[in-house]
Amino acid sequence: MSAAATVQGDGALAGLRVVECGDGVAAAYAGKLFADLGADVVKVEPPAGDATRRRGPFPGGTVHRERSGLFLYLNANKRGIVLDLGRAVDRGALDRLLEGRDLLLTDLPGRARERDGLEWPAIHARHPDVVMTTIAPFGTHGPWADFEATDLTLWAAGGIAYLNGGGPGTDAMPPLKAFGQQAAFQGGVHAAVASMGALFGRRRTGAGQHVEVSIQECVASILELTYAFWPYMGLVASRLGHKPIQPLDFFECRDGWIYLCCIEEHQWQRFVELMGSPEWAGMELFQDRMARGANWDALKIFLQDWMREQSVRELYEAGQARRIPLAPVSTMGDLMQSEHLATRGFFAELAHPTAGTLRYPGAPYRFGATPWRLRTPAPLLGQHTAEVLDALGVDPASTAAPAGEAS
Amino acid sequence: MTGPLAGIRIADFTWVWAGPHATLQLAHLGAEVIRVEAVERPCVTRLLPPWPDGQPGLNRSGYFNQFNQGKRSIALDLKTPEGLDLAHRLVACSDVVTENFAAGVMDRLGLGYEALRALKPDVVMVALSGYGATGPEHEFVSYGPAQVPLSGMSSLTGYRDWPPMHVGISYGDPNGGAHGAFAVLAALWHRERTGEGQYVDLSQWETGMAVLAEGLMDQAMNGSAPARDGNRDPHMAPHGIFRAAGDDRWIAIAVRSDGEWHRLAALMGLAAPERERYATLAARKADEDAVEALVTGWTATRTPEDLMALLQDAGLAAAPAMTNRDLHDDAHLGARGFFVELEHPEVGRRRHLGIPWTMSGTPCTVARPAPCFGEATDYVLGELLGIDAATRADLRARGIVA
Repeated sequence: MSAAATVQGDGALAGLRVVECGDGVAAAYAGKLFADLGADVVKVEPPAGDATRRRGPFPGGTVHRERSGLFLYLNANKRGIVLDLGRAVDRGALDRLLEGRDLLLTDLPGRARERDGLEWPAIHARHPDVVMTTIAPFGTHGPWADFEATDLTLWAAGGIAYLNGGGPGTDAMPPLKAFGQQAAFQGGVHAAVASMGALFGRRRTGAGQHVEVSIQECVASILELTYAFWPYMGLVASRLGHKPIQPLDFFECRDGWIYLCCIEEHQWQRFVELMGSPEWAGMELFQDRMARGANWDALKIFLQDWMREQSVRELYEAGQARRIPLAPVSTMGDLMQSEHLATRGFFAELAHPTAGTLRYPGAPYRFGATPWRLRTPAPLLGQHTAEVLDALGVDPASTAAPAGEAS
Repeated sequence: MTGPLAGIRIADFTWVWAGPHATLQLAHLGAEVIRVEAVERPCVTRLLPPWPDGQPGLNRSGYFNQFNQGKRSIALDLKTPEGLDLAHRLVACSDVVTENFAAGVMDRLGLGYEALRALKPDVVMVALSGYGATGPEHEFVSYGPAQVPLSGMSSLTGYRDWPPMHVGISYGDPNGGAHGAFAVLAALWHRERTGEGQYVDLSQWETGMAVLAEGLMDQAMNGSAPARDGNRDPHMAPHGIFRAAGDDRWIAIAVRSDGEWHRLAALMGLAAPERERYATLAARKADEDAVEALVTGWTATRTPEDLMALLQDAGLAAAPAMTNRDLHDDAHLGARGFFVELEHPEVGRRRHLGIPWTMSGTPCTVARPAPCFGEATDYVLGELLGIDAATRADLRARGIVA
């Protein structure tokens, strides 16, 4: 079987042909969503390789460009080629690659897009059928379009960071980011949605089009109910101060942490029963969820004392049996050992020539008729350059080679 | 409608936030999204604040009105045979069915995939539940706030040596929702090519893990996970959110290289010995508390806006930790046309966050404000299902529709 055949598949997007010119998480995650459903995705890397190859996590913490867990995860199911888009020959090769392709994804910074010929007007002039999606921190137009950004600054600029961290009496603590590169993941998944939309649009109009995605706006668009407090009530939503409703909080059990969530009165009543109806639970101070919010400092002490003796798993199951929506604070190890996830076959094993066989996070959704599949491991740097360029009639010796040694 | 999905109809049985965030994306793309609400059980977010003047009302919630822009709403009593029949007839003339009830609820209502497929053989149905449709915990109760710890996010999020923490929003909902929108589009793409519909089982828990790869891959490779470390980053320092001048004002700053450190140090006016002592990432990471104290000493007397301008002028990544008010008043977002302000019959003209993308050939716009409860019942029954006015009035009088 040819390599080209192995990257196709029986997924919902088999037959779609995608080129990804990105660096980091956002475009790569959008590309992954397409690839995992069967699209043929060719990832174009610079000679030094994608930034995530240098980021890790790495086995034993040792930097190795073929062993970055983040890179391996984001780029399975893709073919990888190396081009130095600063060189005219390599730009010519990209031009050939884009012939007959459906979608070009990029999240390169503005300067790089300009230098590399990845601006929409130029792409559109030469490839009128191609849909191009440009993911940019603040979008490609507007006063902040050229501003520098990282995942942290975008999580802040999108308004989520301000909502998290601290709590009553801890206003010295800064707003707190979520783990990982969540702004980029949100930019990626929303860009994938918009790109699919643009492909449907192309079916109607017969022409390619440009999709422009602002990561700041993707983050701002998931602010739950907090944004509307300003235009609707003139209130600034803050992470400080007491939550109006309790309990919605973390507790330490004897073997880990658990999160208790009692929004409805019946959930609290059943939790009190589960605790054996201790006397303190009947106090007027805790009579309804608003009172429990107002007197949370006191209630939390009672609850924590009781929780400390419990086991997370037993309490989770006993609570869920009573329809109380509590949940374990899952560690990564808990997740990899979860019977529920194992039964659903969430984790997927994949062998990679350098990184070995690992268990990867798997399907985020199950398609009844067209399977999600992990088919091939992430490409070694430049692994498919010769194969892809040969098929295009471009001499692979004429384009840039990977820089340096693998390790 | 001008969006790329014009002509696609979604019978949308979702509620709360995860499902409505999914169908918001589809409405943004121009699909006709018809929220099917229960006569006795309107969407939960209609009952939550904020409301203008603090006065509750089914059509007054900013939460509902933000995430249901561009959609329609009908109200049916699905527990009556006639109400169920109307829902079936709507599905029969729709392309997609979406729902995010707990596992089994749609089956019990008579709206399970097998029942709907019998009515509409090529229907695309996407279910967004907390735990997924199978597995030993699939009937567990799932609430948005509890998805964040369940997914693993909380165990990795928090200040160093503090307990696990939340992320500030019920992140599993919009994350699951955005993935759900992609699943709908992919399944529709397959249907367009082959004529085949299908059922998609999406678990918010699993979509939550899809964005935690850095933690899960570390566990897979090393048998351990990264320790909670606040806003810090192993490859960048300083990397944090620093106090600025004003009441609870903050600036996020990320220094990506040693060269950027020198530019920051110059802006801060650091003396040469301090600048040089921290010239390498390793030196800054080894003494990060001290480095952060130096940065805070400089930021604490300046506003976040001034700091952002100074830092960006020097080519450094920085942005204020923006509040909802900051976003509402933001000139950049305004200049981009991100905001949507449409006349709503009960709350008037208010600013909502709009579509996070632009599209050149098939432009996306928010065509209408979020629907009042049942505003499209007559439209759906009359124009889509061909039910005459007298019958509609009778259904309404008997409480089968509202």
